[in-house]
Amino acid sequence: MPTTLPTDPAFDSPASQSAPLPLGQQLVANGCVTARQLDLALRRHQSTGGQDESAHLVGRTLVEMGCISQAELLGCLSRQFAQERDAYQVSSDIPPVIRLEQVVKILDGRRVLDAVDLAIPANRVTAIIGMSGGGKSVIMKHMVGLMKPDQGSVWVGEHSLGRISGRELTRVRGRFSLLFQGGALFDSLNVFDNVAFPLREKTRLSEIDIRARVMRCLEEVNLVGMERKFPDELSGGMMKRAALARALVTNPEILLLDEPTAGLDPIIENAIHYLICDTFMRTRYTMVVISHAVPEIFKWSHHVIVLHRGKVLFSGPSREVMASPDPVIRQFIRGDLDGPIQVI
Amino acid sequence: MIDLIGHIGSQSINVVREIGRMFLFMWEIIISLPVPPYRWTSFLKQVHFIGLRSLFVIALTAIFTGMVLALQGYYTLSRFGSEALLGPAVALSIIRELGPVLSGLMVTGRAGSALTAELGIMRIREQIDALEVMGIPPLKFLVTPRIEAGLLVVPLLTVLFDVIGIWGGYLVAVRLLGMSGGTYFGGIESSVEMHDIVTGLIKSCTFGLIVTWVCTYKGFFTRRGAEGVSHSTTSAVVLSSVLILVCDYFITSIML
Repeated sequence: MPTTLPTDPAFDSPASQSAPLPLGQQLVANGCVTARQLDLALRRHQSTGGQDESAHLVGRTLVEMGCISQAELLGCLSRQFAQERDAYQVSSDIPPVIRLEQVVKILDGRRVLDAVDLAIPANRVTAIIGMSGGGKSVIMKHMVGLMKPDQGSVWVGEHSLGRISGRELTRVRGRFSLLFQGGALFDSLNVFDNVAFPLREKTRLSEIDIRARVMRCLEEVNLVGMERKFPDELSGGMMKRAALARALVTNPEILLLDEPTAGLDPIIENAIHYLICDTFMRTRYTMVVISHAVPEIFKWSHHVIVLHRGKVLFSGPSREVMASPDPVIRQFIRGDLDGPIQVI
Repeated sequence: MIDLIGHIGSQSINVVREIGRMFLFMWEIIISLPVPPYRWTSFLKQVHFIGLRSLFVIALTAIFTGMVLALQGYYTLSRFGSEALLGPAVALSIIRELGPVLSGLMVTGRAGSALTAELGIMRIREQIDALEVMGIPPLKFLVTPRIEAGLLVVPLLTVLFDVIGIWGGYLVAVRLLGMSGGTYFGGIESSVEMHDIVTGLIKSCTFGLIVTWVCTYKGFFTRRGAEGVSHSTTSAVVLSSVLILVCDYFITSIML
């Protein structure tokens, strides 16, 4: 069996996909801030000892200086994201970072995944959509090795998860963070300790460094002041944001988000989407989002995978899925009762 | 008829599979024991939870067990004019049998069920999956400290049970029934041997292992939401209690 990741012929190279500009320059190019404001903010940031330009300067310093409001900043970032999303094409220049090959999974006698082939492009936001019980979360659990396929293989980079040792699997998992549907925060720990938990367990950082990183992450998800609250004292939106902070604190390469907006009101749902977009624009992590927020999720993802009856019905840019003539996809997007999917 | 045979066959396979999984679970814990990091804080928390917080119920059970043993024993022995043997009868019953068994059962009821429920809730809320994704082995992190604590704490609780139980017997025999304190304790001193104490301690170590092993196993593999937690907790308590009584018989027959 091959030990390296095979290439996918479905990916071809467009010239439009070049490396993105640093975020500050993107904001200037979009007219969100002037070059002078950016320069001032950079100097101010450096004078306070900051080094992480993308995370702090663009996000916090510009807002603190009054150059731009938080909402305007998020609006700018989402416009920038929309440009990228519209220019996105499936390409072999973007290597798939995760790949499922002919994966079959049978649970309680039901074929939940039926010879699934899919590839997750690196440094892009990929949405996986489909009917409830269609195997989306099962796919995500396969990606991190929480479930093993009955047939087929799961590749992360050049590692086939079924063929590596426990120690290597732990190393591969170190590339991931997963935001669980219910948050999966530890009930016995407060928000601060929950976010600090992976750092305390997996790194040798001092408590001072841990505190700085945790507070930065809480700031990014707008949860400053909530550090001492326990999970049962948080609202659904706060819980998701705290879980997102815990997922971000380890600086993962790949961020998996299992229904990050499920059960939230439209405003909080929108805020979470903006937050995901903001996180992507700052970090360029590979993101995989399972969502039922259709068609809203198409706005926030480059690549969309549609699952139906355990198979991949469509995989490609989000604008293409919107335009797909497939009756199942049309019905799913419109939420019609009439159509090939009979639920009543 | 064929359906019945099929049902019995599938149930038997399920039982064998469950036993196999339980032993594999234990094997994984044993091989994880020498692997660092050693979670002393977590271990001490479990010692506090299983041990310190069971003290009251153990003391209460022990004193009344000793008292009722003395009362019943006095009534029976006085028929044969052997009241002087009351001290040894109470002490040997408690040290060899009732101390370890009742301590094991009390820990099962108070701490074992809570261990199962805690791990079960962690499982259904995906907190155990979250640990795995973070690269933290959940068995080492969650289960090992609980089993180590059980192995340490149940024998200590048993020793405490023995002492309080004998003292409870003393209250009834000497204070209530007017027996001589010297006769009560003198009989104990001359009849209780180290072998009796060791037998009791071996039993209590075994029961400590059984309670924590069964209860953590049932919690760790909980499925199907809140109902699953309730089912796991009930089956953990029942299975632990039954295993304690079964093992008690076999250890007694070996150690006699």
